[in-house]
Amino acid sequence: MAPSQPSHTPNLDKLIKSLRVQSLEASIESLIFLLKRRQVKGDECARATAQILRQVVAKSKWHDVDQLLSRVQSAGLRLTQAAPHEPVIGNIVRRVLGLIRDEACEDRNADDLGSEAASDIQSLAPTAPPPQKPALVPIRPAPSILTTGLQVSKSMFNLLSVADPGDTPMTGASTPMSQAQPASVHALRSEVMDGIEEILDEIHQADDQIASFADIQIHPGDYVLVYQPSRTVEKFLIKAASKRRFTVIIGSLDPPSPSATEAPYAALRKKLNAAGVQTINLASNGLMAYIPRVNKVIFGAKAVYQNGGLLVDSGSCIAAHAAHEYLKPVIVLCGVYKFCPEDPSDEVSQGALGNPSSFVSYGNGQAVNGLEIENTVTDYIPPELVDVYLTNLGPQTRHHLASILADHYKTEDIGFSFQLGEP
Amino acid sequence: MSKQGGKAGAAAGKAKKPAKAGADEKREDVLQAVILADSFQDRFKPFTLERPRCLLPLANVPVIEYTLEFLASNGVRDVFIYCGAHSEDIERYIHESPRWSPRSAVSPFSSLEFIRVSDANSIGDFLRDLDKRNLITADFVLVHGDLVSNIQLDSVLAKHRARREANRDACMTMVLRSVGEQPHRAATARGITPVFVVDPTTGRCLQYEETHPLQSEHYVNLDPAVFSHGQFEIRSDLVDCGLDICTPEVLALWSESFDYELPRKNFLHGVLKDWELNGKMIYAEIMDDGYGARASNLQMYDCISKDVLERWALPFVPDSNLVHGQTYRAVKGASYVEDHVVVERGSKVARSAVGRGTEVGAGSDISGSIIGRRCKIGKNVKIEDSYIWDDAVIGDGATVIHSVLADSVVVGSNCRIPAGSLISYNVEIGRGVQLQSTPTARISLLTDEKQLAKTDVALVGAGGKGALYEVVLDDEDSDDEEDESRDPAVLQSGLIYSLAGLNISTSSISTLDSDDEYDSDDDASLSGALDTRDRHFDRTRDRLSSFTSDDASKPDTFHSDAVNGLVDALRADDNEDFDSAKLEFMGLRLANNASDGAMRRAIAVAFVRRAAELLSPEHGALEPTKAAERAITAKKGAPRFIGDVAVGGEAVAQQVEFGLALQRALLGVRDLGSARAGALLAALLQQFYGLDVLDEEGIVAWWADKRAGETEEMQRLKEKCRVLVEWLENADEEESDEEEESEEEEEEDEDESD
Repeated sequence: MAPSQPSHTPNLDKLIKSLRVQSLEASIESLIFLLKRRQVKGDECARATAQILRQVVAKSKWHDVDQLLSRVQSAGLRLTQAAPHEPVIGNIVRRVLGLIRDEACEDRNADDLGSEAASDIQSLAPTAPPPQKPALVPIRPAPSILTTGLQVSKSMFNLLSVADPGDTPMTGASTPMSQAQPASVHALRSEVMDGIEEILDEIHQADDQIASFADIQIHPGDYVLVYQPSRTVEKFLIKAASKRRFTVIIGSLDPPSPSATEAPYAALRKKLNAAGVQTINLASNGLMAYIPRVNKVIFGAKAVYQNGGLLVDSGSCIAAHAAHEYLKPVIVLCGVYKFCPEDPSDEVSQGALGNPSSFVSYGNGQAVNGLEIENTVTDYIPPELVDVYLTNLGPQTRHHLASILADHYKTEDIGFSFQLGEP
Repeated sequence: MSKQGGKAGAAAGKAKKPAKAGADEKREDVLQAVILADSFQDRFKPFTLERPRCLLPLANVPVIEYTLEFLASNGVRDVFIYCGAHSEDIERYIHESPRWSPRSAVSPFSSLEFIRVSDANSIGDFLRDLDKRNLITADFVLVHGDLVSNIQLDSVLAKHRARREANRDACMTMVLRSVGEQPHRAATARGITPVFVVDPTTGRCLQYEETHPLQSEHYVNLDPAVFSHGQFEIRSDLVDCGLDICTPEVLALWSESFDYELPRKNFLHGVLKDWELNGKMIYAEIMDDGYGARASNLQMYDCISKDVLERWALPFVPDSNLVHGQTYRAVKGASYVEDHVVVERGSKVARSAVGRGTEVGAGSDISGSIIGRRCKIGKNVKIEDSYIWDDAVIGDGATVIHSVLADSVVVGSNCRIPAGSLISYNVEIGRGVQLQSTPTARISLLTDEKQLAKTDVALVGAGGKGALYEVVLDDEDSDDEEDESRDPAVLQSGLIYSLAGLNISTSSISTLDSDDEYDSDDDASLSGALDTRDRHFDRTRDRLSSFTSDDASKPDTFHSDAVNGLVDALRADDNEDFDSAKLEFMGLRLANNASDGAMRRAIAVAFVRRAAELLSPEHGALEPTKAAERAITAKKGAPRFIGDVAVGGEAVAQQVEFGLALQRALLGVRDLGSARAGALLAALLQQFYGLDVLDEEGIVAWWADKRAGETEEMQRLKEKCRVLVEWLENADEEESDEEEESEEEEEEDEDESD
């Protein structure tokens, strides 16, 4: 299409572009309706939520930490309610809330200590966001470099901002009400916004970081089954293909649509074939037959629940069960930001409903009249079917999920949607 | 306030990066849309007496919300809304809406304007007014206020622009949804079948016609110009969502033709027909996926509601909660409930949506229904495929089947509301009332003139409120000159699409291969034929070759005009003279260039109708012989007229044709048993014989002609004339009187059975 014909359909990129010029309320509302209309979905949700919460921190009026927390909570609640089928939104909201609490706590400490040097040290050490806990992570190639890079810039920023209250030590220590407040608000604002930037970076880099483990997980000569590969899985396979020779079996659920000109996942297959990796396309009903030959099964998850259960694209559950029967390892790829500190609800285990037209065309009059067509677009995979959770922090087992969750979320934020109650 | 801030900000944003000229949104790239929020139709009455169509709840959401959300999801920035009836209500609704109000900071539209036209009587008036205002600067989206669609317009818009750049005369693109060849609920529900003749290679629409099952002519006449295109398709399987992408020239075209009223029947048809004059081209974009339909009548309302519940229109599903304050969530049984819904133990909710605050008593069964907010549904109630709006109360043990119950309706306990009932606002149905399903109950507190109607206790029971609402048909779609029973609006006024009780002619099916171009007349009454619509399509194809010789549309108007004229002349008591009627008839014939066959048919129908009328009790319940005599000889000159014009000569073949015409005309008369019809036919033939209009040879030849007995009914009629024919064959007997005739008839029947 010629560039002179602009697309009018709103999407996330347009929203992010317009954030600067739109009022906060309009931005939140636009995102809510993008979510409701499914014009923002899947992995985009995390990015969108973080961007909007960044605007909430930057633009809304607040004078202390509690006000900020409640602003973020109410905006977050509206977003989660707009898309109850996207649990990632809630995770990002919780992460931001946790971030605010950390920064506030640290600010208070800094104020108490009063000394510039101390505050500097303080700001260096604990501002590093909680995700990186070296004890848990055996291999951390990329992220550590990255975070230190960020910390440098961040601490320089802090040098200035913390210096502000330092200029007026009298008020800073004894009467934190009048003058110190705006200054610390200002500092807190920029710190929280930096923290959100980091979350955005984390989201952005999660796929690449996961892919960096590819050559460890995939061995030469492997037969790897992927089911409806998501972007994360695609990156992972392509990365692995650069180092290993193996065979990929791509399972897919969607019947080939008559309008499609290419076989499903043609782009992915081309890339893999170029790297010398064989690919086989499979309809989902042929899955079982191939399982004995397969060495491992790889999924991308939409979310991982506290109990280790997964929210995945529909159909994956069959593949997971099949793999389980034949004792083939099931590896799940997902960024840490997709870990939900809650248990799956009934709705999750039933699966979200989609448009029946992916199975039956609306043009098929008899079917439309006579059939009840339920198209579940998500599946729930119970934890016992999953062997390895491959996150951007490295491979984890189910038993480590609790500590990861504890590292990333504050207990007081887990039920944030209940604290506000009904509007 | 903040909206202005946003605008100023946008301007600033533009100023920042002037280098990227292409990427920058120029003012003219802003997508504009026009919503026609009044259709000047009565199809939703009595509900639209108090509320405009676009504010009626569809799946508990006012219809216009779907339209606005559709526009928002396509990135429309400027919206103009034309309101007609109830314009204050619509304006108030929009202004009070937190999302759409022009003052709202969160509105996705940068502007939303209402335009009132005081003297508008049709959509055409709206669009001509729009042309005068010069508000439209570039391509715009024209939609109706009752559109439900999830179609993404980007690709359609791009194609439209490409076509327009290639050729400036490509002025409009219609978005149509294909629904396949099989019977489809969305296709059945629309009543009128649009027929698009489309060039499949370019998508250009070549001709547009409308057909409906009530018309006598089941053919679509193709314009000869269509054949100059290498390839074309005739599509009757399209749902027209009334969604057009127009260039400003479209408005100019409307202005040029002051008498166009409807966007399709008048405008599209006219512009395509006059292509050689205006040179404008209109394209059809036929979608095979996505959802698009207009809640243009109650049947479409029914169909779209089901589609929304079954998620065909995703994201327009109840649990998307697109309207502020809605809290639907999907529950088991493919249903959706809002918060604070109480469904007592032992009751079942399946394939339904239930609004906030509604209580469903124990043992109730709700399926396929949409129930509004704060309704009270008692115990052991059965609700099937119904639409119950807010605040309704339904008593214990009541049954509601496939009906629409508006706001605050009260249904007493143990009532039965049968399929197709429409119960308007605040009506109360007393305890234990069993409403009748025929005629369809339409109960309202108001009459058509918006006066309070007198409560009809016999209908709504003791303690009830409301009266039968009389349907007044003056639909814009209908042609005033058309007979009322032939008005397609009849098909669209009810909730259930039904042709029962209507006269459907299927004659064209049986005469497809016949060389006789006899087509059904007004009274041809054959039942069934629900699927005639699908067969039309095949037939239009079959008929393609013969279009040039086909003067089928002429006899149509000629026939009804001629028949009515003659019958009126025959009825006139004060005037013995038939000459003026004859003159009028010949004038009509010349004006329409009617064939001999058409005249013969018209005359036969007129006399038969008059004779049949005389048989009926209110005209004296004459015997068949007397009736025939009276009909034919009451007016001086009438027999001669028949002889000269209808038969048109001494030739036996022409007499046979006239005999056949009489026979068919009799078949078409309603409320006439075949025995009486047969007797009347015999009497008429005898009368004509006596007056020397027909001679023995002619009648005997008619008797022998195999067309006279080609269907069972024809055969039955014919049998009654056996006596007459035998008498003619023997030719020396005197006129037999009636008793003898009937006796002989019985004998004949016995002979037959032997």
